[in-house]
Amino acid sequence: MSRYEILSPEGLRTDGRRWNEIRRFSAKMATTTAADGSSYVEHGNTKVICSVNGPIEPRAANARSSERATITVDVCFAAFSGTDRKKRGKGDKYSTRPIKSPNLPTYQGGGGALLMGRAQSKRRVLEMQSALSRTFASTLLTALHPRSEVHISLHILSQDGSILATCVNAATLALVDAGVPMTDYVTACTVASYTNPDESDEPLLDMNSAEEMDLPGITLATVGRSDRISLLQLETKVRLERLEGMLAVGLDGCGKIRQLLDEVVREHGNEMARMGTL
Amino acid sequence: MTSFKRSFGDSHGSSELSSKVFLRSSKGKCTKIVRELYLRRDIPCSSKICTRCLADIKGDSYGRTKPFVLSSNAPVNDTIKVPHYIVPDTNVFLRCMDVLDHAAITDVIVLQTVLDEVRARSLPLYNRLRALVASGEKRFYVFHNEFRSETYVRREPGETINDRNDRAVRRGVQWYHEHLKEVARDSGKSIAVVMVSNDKGNLEKGKRVGVTCCNIKDYVSGMKNSDELLDMISAALEDENAKAAKGDMLYPEYYSMSKMMTGVKAGTLHQGKFSISPYNFLEGSVHVPSFDRPLLILGRENINRSVHGDQVVVRVLPRDQWKHPSSKIIEEETMTKNDNPEVEQFEAIETEQERKALIDEAKLSQGAIGEGKPQPTARVVGVIKRNWRYYVGHLDPSSAPSVGGRSQRNVFLIPMDKKIPKIRLRTRQASELFGKRIVVSIDAWDRTSRYPSGHFVRSLGAVETKEAETEALLLEWDVQYRPFPKSVLDCLPKEGHEWRIPQDPEDPRLHQRVDYRGLLVCSIDPLGCQDIDDALHASRMPNGNYEVGVHIADVTHFVKPNTAMDDEASVRGTTVYLVDKRIDMLPMLLGTDLCSLKPYVERFAFSVVWEITENGDIVGTKFSKSMIKSREAFSYEQAQLRIDDKNQNDELTQGMRTLLMLSKRLRQKRMDAGALNLASPEVKIESESETSDPIDVKTKEMLETNSLVEEFMLLANISVAEKIYEAFPQTAMLRRHGAPPASNFEELQNQLRVTRGLTLLTDSSKALADSLDRCVDPSNPFFNTLVRILATRCMVSAEYFCSGTQGYPEYRHYGLASEIYTHFTSPIRRYADVVAHRQLAAAIGYEPLHPTLHSKDKLEGICSNINNRHRNAQMAGRASVEYYVGQALRGKVIEEQGYLMRIFSNGFVVFVPRFGVEGLIRVKDLAPVEPKSEFDAENYRLTVEGSTGSWSVALFDRVVVKTPVHLTGSSNDAAGGTADEVCIGQSATVLHLRGSLQFWKRWVQYRMHLAISVSIAIKRLSVEFLYTPDTSGSAAANFPQVMGHMAKPG
Repeated sequence: MSRYEILSPEGLRTDGRRWNEIRRFSAKMATTTAADGSSYVEHGNTKVICSVNGPIEPRAANARSSERATITVDVCFAAFSGTDRKKRGKGDKYSTRPIKSPNLPTYQGGGGALLMGRAQSKRRVLEMQSALSRTFASTLLTALHPRSEVHISLHILSQDGSILATCVNAATLALVDAGVPMTDYVTACTVASYTNPDESDEPLLDMNSAEEMDLPGITLATVGRSDRISLLQLETKVRLERLEGMLAVGLDGCGKIRQLLDEVVREHGNEMARMGTL
Repeated sequence: MTSFKRSFGDSHGSSELSSKVFLRSSKGKCTKIVRELYLRRDIPCSSKICTRCLADIKGDSYGRTKPFVLSSNAPVNDTIKVPHYIVPDTNVFLRCMDVLDHAAITDVIVLQTVLDEVRARSLPLYNRLRALVASGEKRFYVFHNEFRSETYVRREPGETINDRNDRAVRRGVQWYHEHLKEVARDSGKSIAVVMVSNDKGNLEKGKRVGVTCCNIKDYVSGMKNSDELLDMISAALEDENAKAAKGDMLYPEYYSMSKMMTGVKAGTLHQGKFSISPYNFLEGSVHVPSFDRPLLILGRENINRSVHGDQVVVRVLPRDQWKHPSSKIIEEETMTKNDNPEVEQFEAIETEQERKALIDEAKLSQGAIGEGKPQPTARVVGVIKRNWRYYVGHLDPSSAPSVGGRSQRNVFLIPMDKKIPKIRLRTRQASELFGKRIVVSIDAWDRTSRYPSGHFVRSLGAVETKEAETEALLLEWDVQYRPFPKSVLDCLPKEGHEWRIPQDPEDPRLHQRVDYRGLLVCSIDPLGCQDIDDALHASRMPNGNYEVGVHIADVTHFVKPNTAMDDEASVRGTTVYLVDKRIDMLPMLLGTDLCSLKPYVERFAFSVVWEITENGDIVGTKFSKSMIKSREAFSYEQAQLRIDDKNQNDELTQGMRTLLMLSKRLRQKRMDAGALNLASPEVKIESESETSDPIDVKTKEMLETNSLVEEFMLLANISVAEKIYEAFPQTAMLRRHGAPPASNFEELQNQLRVTRGLTLLTDSSKALADSLDRCVDPSNPFFNTLVRILATRCMVSAEYFCSGTQGYPEYRHYGLASEIYTHFTSPIRRYADVVAHRQLAAAIGYEPLHPTLHSKDKLEGICSNINNRHRNAQMAGRASVEYYVGQALRGKVIEEQGYLMRIFSNGFVVFVPRFGVEGLIRVKDLAPVEPKSEFDAENYRLTVEGSTGSWSVALFDRVVVKTPVHLTGSSNDAAGGTADEVCIGQSATVLHLRGSLQFWKRWVQYRMHLAISVSIAIKRLSVEFLYTPDTSGSAAANFPQVMGHMAKPG
């Protein structure tokens, strides 16, 4: 039994939310001039900086494709982002090599995301990079920029659950800022499946780290206002009949995030207009 | 450029906080913990008079909402004269849960702060509280004050967490107060909120901020049944203030938790479960892994406030203090009968008398150097976990009030379980409670107090009435005996007794069901059995082999997983059979009708069908859900008569003969493999048909048909175990019986060697079975069975387990000499069988397995519960038999043979096979003046100097006991006085079988199996049991007292 009730019989979670509430969400665009596009997203206590460069000349030969732009993703966890300060060893330079989207081996990621050994966390980073690059490959209009590369770099400053989802949202904003042509927003959120004492299930929208540790959950990304799913990740076991309920809640959650992102983008646009940048 | 500064302004409406805490672990590692809290304004107050909060009701993902809980008709009492809700603080929940559990207390607001603290301090109390909230009957409501922005309290710098929580509670009460005041303006109905606490400081601070406060005692004393409720307030609460005043500490202090843990890790201290010797209340023992023999703990100071069942940490004493286990009987009742509950004796923990008893003991063990090594002794230095439960007992008559009246006084409670020490109780109802069976709970055991202190929970009724005794027994063994709730009965099929097997062959319920209705199936059970679990059939196949089928009631067709009925059954775990009562695991409709394989009607069954060769080899096994129609329900006797009757040659009888023949082959095979024959014939109580008063006791007979049924049930269980293990290697429900450690048998081996020159080999079950067969005494046919009883007591008990938790070699069933075993054949009365049925159904692809049975954790939980329930049910059954044996023999003169099972320096234990009970005979009860006696520990022989010459008895000897009617009076003297008259002509020595059934009870707890006894006649003694009619005023006689008279060997 965990130390807290993940969901009290009164329907409140450990941090006071109800089942269908997302955490505080705030985002900024164009946070740095050093990159073509950048963003900063705080989702609850999960904080991610994203910068996008591209389309640029591919930096590595294998990232060159004559038909479309390749999307490369870097994910880097700050040493201070988790509960324990991470010590980094010599062979641990996983964030330096860019990952090309096709031909990637898929890895089996483990659950219990935060407390993993070094080898596993390296694998997990590879998996996140791969998932992100595949997700955006389907939404960006990459055919417009053949023989070029779009490089997305993500820095996780603070981890508190739903990290992959926050990365997707941050990358979307940064890509918008960079002006990379894309069909619509890609927005993501997570859903956990809580088991009531009577064995019925209760989907919980937007997991924090405590919930991520204890419950099975999915990360889900949709494109724009449609219910088209571009990413669905499940790292733990969950019963098949529960998936449908989780997806329904997750789709609503993604819609809500889309609204929030849209507000941020419009706000940013107005700001730029006021400043005379446009 | 925008900055990365925290964006508080962005959040919409609600203000939220996050707190950052750095924790440093013992290894010096630093951990950062950040928690966010979303403070909200939509947590309802849940009062039915409130209309403002109605908008705040939010549903779950199914849209289900919870209605408001707190009544608009709030309670009023003499202390708080206005309608009010109460808000208890953490200490009140921790100390006075029983009061809050009482029906008189309703409309309680449980603050989240309090709930979290309760959870952190005691999970069981938390679960009780949660159950109270969930039941809804008493209108408890959990208010999440920590999540509501008005009631959230930020910890001030320098404020302790306790002070902060107290402040949060006051803030919560204050908010409710103001909120209800506003509500009153709308509705015109005003309800107050009262903070109930026991902390003076908290109460004062509460008053200062305008909160109505009240001490728990003051609150309760204003209620109607205040005496009862006041008694329930934990003694610990009262002692808190008085504790400081007392200087003298009787017991040594416990070590700190970290010191104990370090010690245990380093191997200097040992942890184990504490148990008290059933014969000597000053001798305890602890089994620890690093010693193969249990560590002895002698004397009050070493026992140091441990109670039977506690998890304790002990320190081993130096080798020169090692001793032999006690060879003397010491009873608490006689030793401490003069203690005054009102006055604490400060001089010493051990009274002069107790010390003397222990010194005698020590001398004795020093004398017996020749025999074996002394056992290591130890002292308790701390308690890891108390295992206190509710205890049933009666008030000590010697602490009876000299005057009546309602003033509060201390009294002693003598628990029924003699391994539990006397409990000091403060009560105002002392005069009413004398002569009653009452339930109490232990609160604390302070260093300053010789006895633990507890509080009254409830009264069951007068001692020795059938109802009170039965309920006491059920409570003592934790048997769920309340009627099935409506939610369970709702799960029954709607047709009730009219339910029939569907006739339409297309009915989905018949899907994959094999039709065995044409087979000649019959059932064989004890006489009068209503819940028929199993039925059998056998027939010859064309190829010369036999087809044998075991058909088990298809309980899982009616009991679906995750229904109220399933939950209730899994909690009950087993049906409990008492002499006059059966406490069912499943409702009657299923147990005795729809599931029961009654004759002449069609029933659903789960069948195991084998092809068996003439020699008893199994060629093939088939499992299937089926339909059967039992042709006849035999009793064991009827079946035996029919088989033996040469004139009966119909097919059914032939089938039964085949079964009998095959069962003998199977049994022989099992015996050859080393199965132990530890049959346990039981006692049967004959009662008057109308009043159901017991009139006589008979030993149950073992017939060939008993073993016929048993053999095929074993075979079915083994076949099923193999199948479900194959299908679910990680989560199969199995049953194992561990091999007993060789040291368990040391004492018995020694006894046999010394008294009979026999050897007992314990290397394997085969060796044990063979050597048990050799333990015979031609002059005494009973001796072999006596040895078997004693051997059974040396063994460990069998247990259910989940296959993933043990390695395959550990699956072995020692007693049955089977590699793998489970329970499948009695799903009506055992929950383990229900689980096995579900797993087998899934294994043969009949239906998918419910997810709960996939989870190892869930199964482990089920296993540990049913193991516990199973044991308790056995104990309760036996205790019931013994109570009725006592009732049946009451006032009769019966002579019966008994056998010496154990011998002490000042008494011996006699087993009377006909009644299936044991009795203790003490030397000092043999005559008015305690006769001189000499105990030869090496030869297990006790020589007593009678007035006309000495005689001696040794272990395994046969004696004769008699039960004459006895006179009233103070027990010991009266028995002595009548002895000379009763024992004709012979200069008699008098035996007291003191404490009688009450005393036997504690041996029942001690032994796990009751088997038959056989013995050797060396001496023939005449002993008499005397029953005292209920000595009026002596509440101690919870069972009729048994006195014994013994004459010189003739």
